[in-house]
Amino acid sequence: MTDSAEHNSLHAEERYRLFFEGNPHPTWVYDLNTLAILDVNPAAVRTYGYSREEFLSLTIKDVRPADDIPAMLESVAKASSDDEASGLWKHRKKDGALIDVEITSHPLLYGGKRARLVVATDVTKRRKAEKELRLMEDRFRLMISAVKEYAILMLDPEGCVISWNAGAERIKGYREEEIVGQHFSIFYPAEDVEAGKPEYELKVTSLEGRFEDEGWRVRKDGSRFWANVVVTALRDANGELRGFGKVTRDMTERKRNEERIRTQNVQLEAANKELEAFSYSVSHDLRAPLRSIDGFSQAVLEDCSEKLNDLERDHLQRIRAATQRMGILIDDLLNLSRVARAEIRKEQTNLSALARSIAAELRSAQPGRTVDFQIEDEIKARGDPHLLKVVLENLLGNAWKFTSKHASANIAFGKATINGTDVYFVRDDGAGFDPAYASKLFGAFQRLHGMAEFPGTGVGLATVQRIIHRHGGKIWAEAAVEKGATFYFTL
Amino acid sequence: MSQNVILLVEDNPDDEALTLRALTKNNIKNEVIVARDGVEALDYLFASGPYQGRDASLLPQVVLLDLKLPKLDGLEVLRRVRANKRTKLLPVVILTSSNEEQDRITGYDLGANSYVRKPVDFTQFIDAVRQLGLYWLILNEGPPARRSW
Repeated sequence: MTDSAEHNSLHAEERYRLFFEGNPHPTWVYDLNTLAILDVNPAAVRTYGYSREEFLSLTIKDVRPADDIPAMLESVAKASSDDEASGLWKHRKKDGALIDVEITSHPLLYGGKRARLVVATDVTKRRKAEKELRLMEDRFRLMISAVKEYAILMLDPEGCVISWNAGAERIKGYREEEIVGQHFSIFYPAEDVEAGKPEYELKVTSLEGRFEDEGWRVRKDGSRFWANVVVTALRDANGELRGFGKVTRDMTERKRNEERIRTQNVQLEAANKELEAFSYSVSHDLRAPLRSIDGFSQAVLEDCSEKLNDLERDHLQRIRAATQRMGILIDDLLNLSRVARAEIRKEQTNLSALARSIAAELRSAQPGRTVDFQIEDEIKARGDPHLLKVVLENLLGNAWKFTSKHASANIAFGKATINGTDVYFVRDDGAGFDPAYASKLFGAFQRLHGMAEFPGTGVGLATVQRIIHRHGGKIWAEAAVEKGATFYFTL
Repeated sequence: MSQNVILLVEDNPDDEALTLRALTKNNIKNEVIVARDGVEALDYLFASGPYQGRDASLLPQVVLLDLKLPKLDGLEVLRRVRANKRTKLLPVVILTSSNEEQDRITGYDLGANSYVRKPVDFTQFIDAVRQLGLYWLILNEGPPARRSW
C-alpha cells in the first residue's frame, strides 16, 4: 500500500515538475517569510534575463522597480491570508527594462516552508496594443463630439438613438441625456411620420447600404429646418446589421441664400426686360420730335431765306445743330446701354484685321486727309468680336478725329508685353490731352476739349471702358498736350 | 399693275409733312397715298373698308412703311402683305427711326425689300428720299402685273 501511495506521490511530483518546468509563463516559488526565491522555471529565466543560480539568490523585491516595493510588501502581507491572488504589476528585468505582468499566486507548502507559487504572464505587448486602441478611440470620440457643423449620431437597428454629438445638440436642440433611447422619428415633421418616412429610410438604408435625403426636419423647440441627411448601414464582420450612422447637415442657411439668389435673378431679368423695352422706346420715340424740329427749321430756312437776315438765319442753324447733336447723343447712349446689357460671346478675334478695315472706312469717308496707319500684323485676342469692333472704332475714330488739325498724322495699333501681360495700344500724334484731367477721360459725357475744337458727345470712351471692363480688362491712357495720345487696354 | 403711286404708311403728321416735302424737293411727282395706321394701309392695299370700290389690282409702285404705328404695327402689316398672293411681291421699304437690331432682323425675315433709317438731320433725309426715289421709282424694275389670281 505504502508502495503505491509512494508511487502515486512520485508520479504526482513528476507531473508537478513537468508542469513547473514546462510552463510557458514565468513561474517561481518564494518563501513567504524571507521572500527569497526558492525555485524558478526556465520561462522565468528566459523572460527576466537572470540565470537559474542568479534567480535563486534573489528575493521577490529584486524583480520590482524600487518605487513599487512598499505596495508589493502590502499585497504580500494581504496575500498570506488569501488563497489566490492576482494583480497587474510592473516587473524589472535583469537589464533594468520594465515589463507589465499579470500575476497569479497561491499558497504552497514547499519543503516544509510556507511559500507561494507565482505565475507571471508578460502582458506588455497586449497592454501596449490596448493603450493604442484606447488612444484611437479617444481621438475618434473627440472628433465626432467636437464637430459642431454636422449632427453625427448612431441609431440601433430599430432606429433608436444610441450616440449623440455636439453638432446634433446644436442642430436639433436635444441634449444627449434627453435623446438617447428615443426613436429617431422624433426628428421628422408630423406628416412625414404619418407617411412612414422614417421607417422607409431605414429600410432602404439596410437594403442599399446608404440613403441620402434632403427634407424638413423638426428641432426640439418645434421649429423646422432644411436638412441634408446621409444614413449609413453599419454592419460587422459577419454582415450583421449593428445599427445606423446618421449625418445631418442644417442647410437652412444655404437654402435661404438659394431662394434669395433666385428671387434676385428673377428681379434682374425683369429689370433687364424693362430696360430693353425702354431702349426700344427711346429708339423710336425720342428721335421723332428731333426730326420735326430739324426738318421744319430747315423748311423755314429754305422757304423764308430772303426774309431772314444773317442773325435770324444763324438762330435757325443753331437750332438744327443742337437737334442733330441730340440725335447723336441718343444714339451713343443707346449704344452704351446696349453694350452694358449685351451677352458677351468670346472667340478668337483678329484685331489687326478689324483695325485695318476700320482704317479703310475712315480713309474712304475723308479721302483728302494724309494719315499713315501702322497696324501690327496678326494680333489676335479672345473676346466678343462685335464689342471689340466697337472698341477699335472708337479708339481709332478718336485718333483720326484728334489728328484732323494736323497736316499729316500717324496712327499706330499694336501689342506690347508689360509685366508679362499682353497690352494692346492705339497711338496717335494728334492733339493729345492734358494728363492732369486723365481721370475724367472715361466718364460718360465728360470731354476734355470744347465742342468747337473737336465734335463729340463724350460717351465714346465710356462705352469703350464698359466693354473692356466686361471682358475683365483694364484701360488707361498717356498723353501730353499737342504731343498725341496712347490708349492702352488689356482683355 | 403699278400705277406709280407711292403708299406712305406713317402715323406722325410731322414726319408725313417732311417726307412729302422731301419728295417735292426732289421733284418726285408721283401721287402719294398716306395711310395713318396699319389698318388703313391694309384697307388700301386690299380695297376694303373706306377703300372699298378701289380697283384692287392697281398696286403702288413702292410702299414706304414706318414700324411704330397705332392699331396694327408695321411688321404686322408686312407679314399680312407678304401672306396675300395679290400683294406678296409688292416692294416694301421700311422707313423708320429704329435702328434696333431686332427690328432689322424681323423686317428682313418677314420679307422687306429694304430698311432705311430716318435721320434726324433733315438735309440727310432729303438726300435719302432722293436716293429712294431714284432707285425704287426709276432704276428698280418692279414685279410684273399678275394676269390672274
